[in-house]
Amino acid sequence: MKGQFLRSCILVLAVALVVACPAWASKNTPSSKPASAHPELSAQEKLTPCSQCHKDATPTVYKEWYNSVHGIDNVKCFQCHGTYEDIKASPDEATCASCHNAQYMKRPKNKKCWDCHPAHYFFIHK
Amino acid sequence: MGLSRREFIKRTAALTAASYAGLSLPISNEDYSAHASDADSWHKGTCRLCGSGCRLELEVKNGKAVALRGIPQSRTNMGYLCMKGMLFYKLMGNNHPERLKKPLYRARKDQPFREISWDRALDIASKEFAKTVKKYGNNSVAYYGSGQAFTEETYIFQKVMRGGLKTNNVEGNPRLCMASAVGGYVTSFGADEPIGSYSNFERASCFFIIGSNTAEAHPVLFRRIMRRKMDNKDTVKVINADPRVSPTSRIADLHLQFAPGTDLALLNAMAYVILEDKLYNEDFLKNYADFRMGKKKKKVSLQKYMAFIKDYTPEKVARICGGNITADKIRKAALWFAKSEGTMSLWTMGINQRSRGVWANNLIHNLHILTGQLCRPGADSFSLTGQPNACGGVREGGGLCHILPAHRLVKKNKLRHQVERLWGIPEGRIPPKPGYHTMAMFEAVNEGKIKAIWINCTSPAQSLPNCDKYRKGMRREDVFIVVSDIFPTKTTELANLILPTAFIFEKTGVYGCTERRSQLTVKAVNAPGEAKPEVWMVREWALRLSKELNDPVIKKCVEPFMGKEPDYELPKAIWEEYTQKLTKGRDNDLSGATYEVLEKLPDGVQWPAPTKQWALKGGTDIKFVRGLDPLADKYAKNDLPYQFYGPAHPDRKLWIWLRPQKGPAEMPDSKYPFYLSTGRIIDHWHTSSMTGRIIELMRANPYAYVEVNPKDAERLGIKPGDMIEVVSRRGRNILPAKVYVGPCEGMVFVYWHDEDENRMINRVTKDAFDPGSKEPEFKICACRIKRVSGPRPLKPFLVHMKA
Repeated sequence: MKGQFLRSCILVLAVALVVACPAWASKNTPSSKPASAHPELSAQEKLTPCSQCHKDATPTVYKEWYNSVHGIDNVKCFQCHGTYEDIKASPDEATCASCHNAQYMKRPKNKKCWDCHPAHYFFIHK
Repeated sequence: MGLSRREFIKRTAALTAASYAGLSLPISNEDYSAHASDADSWHKGTCRLCGSGCRLELEVKNGKAVALRGIPQSRTNMGYLCMKGMLFYKLMGNNHPERLKKPLYRARKDQPFREISWDRALDIASKEFAKTVKKYGNNSVAYYGSGQAFTEETYIFQKVMRGGLKTNNVEGNPRLCMASAVGGYVTSFGADEPIGSYSNFERASCFFIIGSNTAEAHPVLFRRIMRRKMDNKDTVKVINADPRVSPTSRIADLHLQFAPGTDLALLNAMAYVILEDKLYNEDFLKNYADFRMGKKKKKVSLQKYMAFIKDYTPEKVARICGGNITADKIRKAALWFAKSEGTMSLWTMGINQRSRGVWANNLIHNLHILTGQLCRPGADSFSLTGQPNACGGVREGGGLCHILPAHRLVKKNKLRHQVERLWGIPEGRIPPKPGYHTMAMFEAVNEGKIKAIWINCTSPAQSLPNCDKYRKGMRREDVFIVVSDIFPTKTTELANLILPTAFIFEKTGVYGCTERRSQLTVKAVNAPGEAKPEVWMVREWALRLSKELNDPVIKKCVEPFMGKEPDYELPKAIWEEYTQKLTKGRDNDLSGATYEVLEKLPDGVQWPAPTKQWALKGGTDIKFVRGLDPLADKYAKNDLPYQFYGPAHPDRKLWIWLRPQKGPAEMPDSKYPFYLSTGRIIDHWHTSSMTGRIIELMRANPYAYVEVNPKDAERLGIKPGDMIEVVSRRGRNILPAKVYVGPCEGMVFVYWHDEDENRMINRVTKDAFDPGSKEPEFKICACRIKRVSGPRPLKPFLVHMKA
């Protein structure tokens, strides 16, 4: 039943949940998605922390994040991806610069941050 | 059969709370994200939302605050920010519609507020305080401030109260969080504030983290510890001692989960092992240490200390501590602590907010003195501060009832008269007796002894323990309350006069963070409406008070600041007086740290910084070490490398204290069988009047909940999301349950940020306090819990101004 449920979730959440992995997104989709990419939620549902649903809906992404330096240091989903109204499956790189400005300024201009630092793992340099 | 998306989300939402339909938050989420290249300008400043002192830059476009980013050159945060630091620009200027913008007044607290002019507001404030002084005496008025106010603000408030209104009724919320750390540093090392710096994070080989959920309370400092551990997995050890498993425990090699209130026994048992296994540093002890006991600070011998510590065998203490503690774990922790190349202890409210918080601080320092784990790279006994300016403004600036600026005790005639001379006011103007400490102050409000109080930048109606008791006093119609703040709070609900203040980056001033570092934030955007900097308010109020009381000395207190424009020149003049006159020659000498110097540096200056030349290098990284600390060289009495010149220990020794185990003021019993503990969550700051208004942060943690150990939950039939009644002898909450292997069995834990009356846990906590530091024991009291229902609809709650 759990497998069916997850498949159902993934189908329904389609684009947003799959492109939540920016490494994939950078190669296959535009750099950001409009707010409507996330399935519509009620105001109450929007009070649910992202990880609470994504733990089950995108378990691989969740595990990668949880075991990464971002996960250990509690850097949460919304810090990179925004919240429902301004959600970006693939973050704006200026958001990375909030914490990584020195690296952002000296990065190769033809690459995205996650081309070298895989999204949700981060510590592995490709 | 699969679940629909909606069913799925509802099910997951029920983990913490029931579904609530139709809720709309009074906050928008305009997308402010911006690229550096689009910026009009970037402005350096300090984060507002914890004691780490993260340096950041505010991006301003067309006069509007639009983004924040870390400063990579900063020695505090190295460019990193937490979610609060990234997002608090959303509260600045006109970004948030609920900012207080006009003075509001009501003669009686049962009346609605009405808008008034600043002229009228300052007249009312001065007339009410003057009337009270004339009728009830100088000790019937009080100031209650904040570790979030700039140093300039705390300094001018306390100057006018002490020198002008002749009362030491000057307190602030750091009494609730850091007073025990002050007591610990002064009694153990002879001087307040840590010896070392954050730079020890990258040099330590062992971290002893006790009573601190660093990962949530100081996330950017935790990142440095985490990085040190991850880069040196086998050689760097992390010991986490806490009754609750927290996100901090994730990097621990050893978790010591002791029953609440048994910390003193645990620390003494570690000392036992250090003595028994001869892990102490004989040379260090011989050169720098003494042993003391009792109220009279009686000097005793090493043998006497050894005889005292004999009672704390690891086997016996393991039984006292309960939890997962074994004698082997205590031995292992002591061994790692003593043998490492550099051990850094870190603690915060878990140690300070205890009825024996000063003793607990002393016992951590004992371990460092015994082993000589001080003054060398990576070795430090380091208290983490909760608020951005608890150290700089309140501990250093004279913001508590017993201390004058620059670590001078009120009760010392010589020091008090020194301050009077420096201020140019008559000798004897400052009363020799300390004023009411925080808990006594609000007790005095209850009893009607304090008739007029100015509360600045804090919300005691929510943050005091056992707050219902003190809210009764604050509701009295014969107590006139001024509240200056940026948003409505549980305390503005009890005010007569609300004064809208400028927020950080809307005014200029200095914050002094945990590591003795002072950092300047210069105004970058305009405050909304008629909101004003506090320094302007106090100056104008003092001038009116002087007239009302026909007392020219009150005017004298603000005379050096007359005619200065309030956004930069006025705070600069106040900082100059404080640093050049008051700190010069003191252990926190900041006379080299002028505004010009602070503006040149990416971060700031660590005191002592007696010259501009020294300040421009960043100041003093490690105190008391010759060659590193200019005062250690200046005050050297011998050839030893360390010179402990702290003002409280004329013998220049570090004191090892004989402190016995002492449990909390209230132990669980048959009627209230659980320990209740409280703490902070990463997404919110204090009473959430700010972070609750940032939509991302509110959504991340919209309600407080009660953490229940799964074994207790099973025994009591509690499931995740069930509504749980938490009752103590003082009050009651009803919160959703989080069933979680966090708190140890027999203990529950509640976050304290929620403003909802049903989830405001300080209605339940106990107002017992440490007899030395007067800091309350927020961390432990007895309660009972009961499942009252399954999941119920809940909504986030914030105090709003009634139209």
